[in-house]
Amino acid sequence: MEPLDQELDEAELEMPTEPMLLNVGPAHPAMHGTVRCVMELSGEIIEHVDVQVGYLHRGFEKMCERGTWSQVFPYVDRCNYVSPMLNNVGFALACEKMLGVTVPERCQWYRMILGELARMSDHLTCDGAMAMELGAFTPFLWMIKAREMIWDLMEEETGARLTHSFGRVGGMASPPTEHLKENARAVVKHILSVVDECEKLLLGNRIFLDRLEGVGVISQADAISLGWTGPCLRATGVPYDVRKASPYMKYGEVDFDVPVGSASDCFDRFMVRLAEMRQSARIIEQCCLRMADSGPVNVSDPRIILPPKEEVYSTIEGTIQHFKIVMEGLKLPAGEVYAYSEGGNGELGFYLVSDGSGTPYRVRIRPPCFLITGGLERVITGAMMADVVPSFGSLNMIGGECDR
Amino acid sequence: MPTFKIDDREIPFEPGETIIRAAQKAGIDIPHYCWHAGLSVAANCRMCLVEIMPPPGRPAMLLDVLAWDKDKQDYIPQKKPKLVPSCQQAAADGMVVKSQTSEHVDTARAAVQELLLLNHPVDCPICDQAGECRLQDYWLEHGATKKRMRDEPVHKPKGVVFGPTIVYDAERCIVCTRCVRVSEELAKDPVLSVRERGNLNEIVVSPGRQLDHAYTLMTEYVCPVGALTSIDFRFKARVWFLRSTRSVCTGCATGCNSFSDFDPRNQKVYRYRPRENLAVNKFWMCDDGMLDHRRIHEGRVLEARVSGANAALPTALAAASEVLSNAKPDTTAVVLSAEHSQEDNFALLSLAKAFGFGNVYQSGRPAGPADDILRHADKNPNTAGIAALGKAAGLKSFVEFVEAIRAGKAQTVIALGSATPTGGGAAALADVKNLVAISTHEGAFPERARVVLPASSWAEADGTFVNAKGMAQESEKVITPQGASKPAFRLIAKLATAAGKPLSWKKLAELRAAMNPPARSSVAPESASLGAE
Repeated sequence: MEPLDQELDEAELEMPTEPMLLNVGPAHPAMHGTVRCVMELSGEIIEHVDVQVGYLHRGFEKMCERGTWSQVFPYVDRCNYVSPMLNNVGFALACEKMLGVTVPERCQWYRMILGELARMSDHLTCDGAMAMELGAFTPFLWMIKAREMIWDLMEEETGARLTHSFGRVGGMASPPTEHLKENARAVVKHILSVVDECEKLLLGNRIFLDRLEGVGVISQADAISLGWTGPCLRATGVPYDVRKASPYMKYGEVDFDVPVGSASDCFDRFMVRLAEMRQSARIIEQCCLRMADSGPVNVSDPRIILPPKEEVYSTIEGTIQHFKIVMEGLKLPAGEVYAYSEGGNGELGFYLVSDGSGTPYRVRIRPPCFLITGGLERVITGAMMADVVPSFGSLNMIGGECDR
Repeated sequence: MPTFKIDDREIPFEPGETIIRAAQKAGIDIPHYCWHAGLSVAANCRMCLVEIMPPPGRPAMLLDVLAWDKDKQDYIPQKKPKLVPSCQQAAADGMVVKSQTSEHVDTARAAVQELLLLNHPVDCPICDQAGECRLQDYWLEHGATKKRMRDEPVHKPKGVVFGPTIVYDAERCIVCTRCVRVSEELAKDPVLSVRERGNLNEIVVSPGRQLDHAYTLMTEYVCPVGALTSIDFRFKARVWFLRSTRSVCTGCATGCNSFSDFDPRNQKVYRYRPRENLAVNKFWMCDDGMLDHRRIHEGRVLEARVSGANAALPTALAAASEVLSNAKPDTTAVVLSAEHSQEDNFALLSLAKAFGFGNVYQSGRPAGPADDILRHADKNPNTAGIAALGKAAGLKSFVEFVEAIRAGKAQTVIALGSATPTGGGAAALADVKNLVAISTHEGAFPERARVVLPASSWAEADGTFVNAKGMAQESEKVITPQGASKPAFRLIAKLATAAGKPLSWKKLAELRAAMNPPARSSVAPESASLGAE
């Protein structure tokens, strides 16, 4: 038996540790969808992490190759399902670029209003969820309530709260409702007040600030080389916004700023999103002022757009037009195109290849989230286990668009 | 070879050829309704108008027209080149033709299209032609103008029964007269004609007659719109759900090239369409052939049978191999079938050789009506093929087979096929003690057989058929075998294996390799195989 009063080295009293492997996800509440992180922990420090995407098993790009170009809209709806309108419009823009058509001005303003509202919905969700995951439940409820108002407006406009499938190549499924501007202004006003209130509530909170500031830092060079775009890139101080860098629709004609951060930590990403909502509000107001109350929304080319139903049922020309577009699909000229727009999380690109038939030959989507999630490893390696939650939350990975 | 230019593309032509035909051969489609490569030129639809540039140094032929000027809100005199129908205009060396690149042609085609649709009913949802209708295709390609006419369209008779096979809808008709010309020029029976003029005209059948010649379905086939519909196909399927394979009609010894249109979802063949092969059937098929697709699904043997009762295939194979093992070569006959492909017959011959059966006879369907257009009196697709295959084995006729039964020399019979050429033969089969029939359809053989093995029809297996001209043509598999049926050559291979003498090949490619050197090359010196498209 060993003597009890044995002199021991201080160090040997420490618990003997060896790296612990911890699986977080693919189905974990903090994982915002199906992503799996295999972490190698030393105590609470993350030594290594292996981020694995691909658990959604949807294959939407492949599915796009089965139907017509118009039937792609429901699939892109489900990419970033928090701001489906931006995806709809992004895809429509890509097809229109291939066709060489531009939708009427009224439609462009309309798309911008709905798109900016969708962006607000995206940012409200991200910032709200971030706060909630750090224990601040009230801002989450307020922000989600504000988001509900956006979704109510979307329902009024499109008939669906979430997956609208409202975009069309060459226009929109239906023209704006009579009360669009009125509703949009009311919603925006409420959102701005929510943004102000939440800002006051959170930015005076030591715990909240401590958990965000200096956490999840990535260098500007790393962010660029990883292909980051959107709020996460702008939080590192790079003022890259597709709406400014290569304006599409009417973004070149409206006044708005591109908010940037400097510390490129979670806090900056949080603040950039808050600031962007205020910019979106500015854009929406300008769109409301400039959008005509009447006039065509869709292009008039019968090879592209469906005829009005009353024409389908009463004239042979309308019937033929409807038949050809529904049964064979509108035909994009053979060739390829890359078109990109500013999605909720950054540059949303569509690379389309057409063989000239009514069915896509290839639809490749460049979702902003995929590249941002690619940087997650660099953001959380060396951090504490608890920092994963705000870091991951601030990157706003959306499973739907991350997986192929 | 002389050449001319169409839309800046240089294409060759045979002297005397029209612009549209030469263009078609070069893969350029000039839109047209009334023109058909196999018919005379009518030039009445005006859809194929093209602009021909004047020869160098010569003025263009110009017409004075009044054109509406939007700004002046008035008609102003203008000149426009005289367009010519490319279906009628013979090509000339060095000619310069503008089709898609001429704005005058665009305008003319859009105007033709608008005119043709003036009185057209809103029928696409209930029209069998929808999906393969020229009116639909060309409306979108040329003009795509909205309806401007405010008047009630002219109403004409709908659902007029022209005969046992065809229903006519005058409202959908554009009076291109293709059907009139098919009746007159192909069927040599001018039973259709055009009545009235302008927007009142319609196709009518001669008084006291019906559209009932042997090529009525060709009128429906050439109809570019939904005016003529086949009673057989009417409301049965929507064409965009159908897929096609290249097949050969097995209705007679002519071996017309066809497309088999089938629905992959329910594995059902809905119709045949002629497939162009200038060496065999040109552009056409007869009614009997067109309706022969019904036999793929009707009157089939889909289960194995032993002594009249349904049995599982292994049981039937065991029973058949027992018959085979007990058979004595002197009193055994092997019957090839002119209904079956070369592959099936070759398989049976190989089996006969393996077991040493030397008495080889032939059977097939009885002869039928013939004409000098396409229909052959021999209603079997492969008579010439088995004659060549069985030459070495001393192939004997069906009459000799009946005599052999009567003389007791055919107590055991291994037969391919279902039908017998004459009525007397069917009765004689009753005297055969041990009959193994490998049959696709119900008929004299399976009815009197001790063991029936269910064979796939021509539509369910790849096969080669040699027509009366000695051309070996391949027919592609359309649908998966129905019921328990299997391709006959496979059944024969299984039977040989079950009887302990497996054949040298297993797969279709191996069978063809085994058959090919003597069998196929000897019958087909000028094999047309799968016709020119």
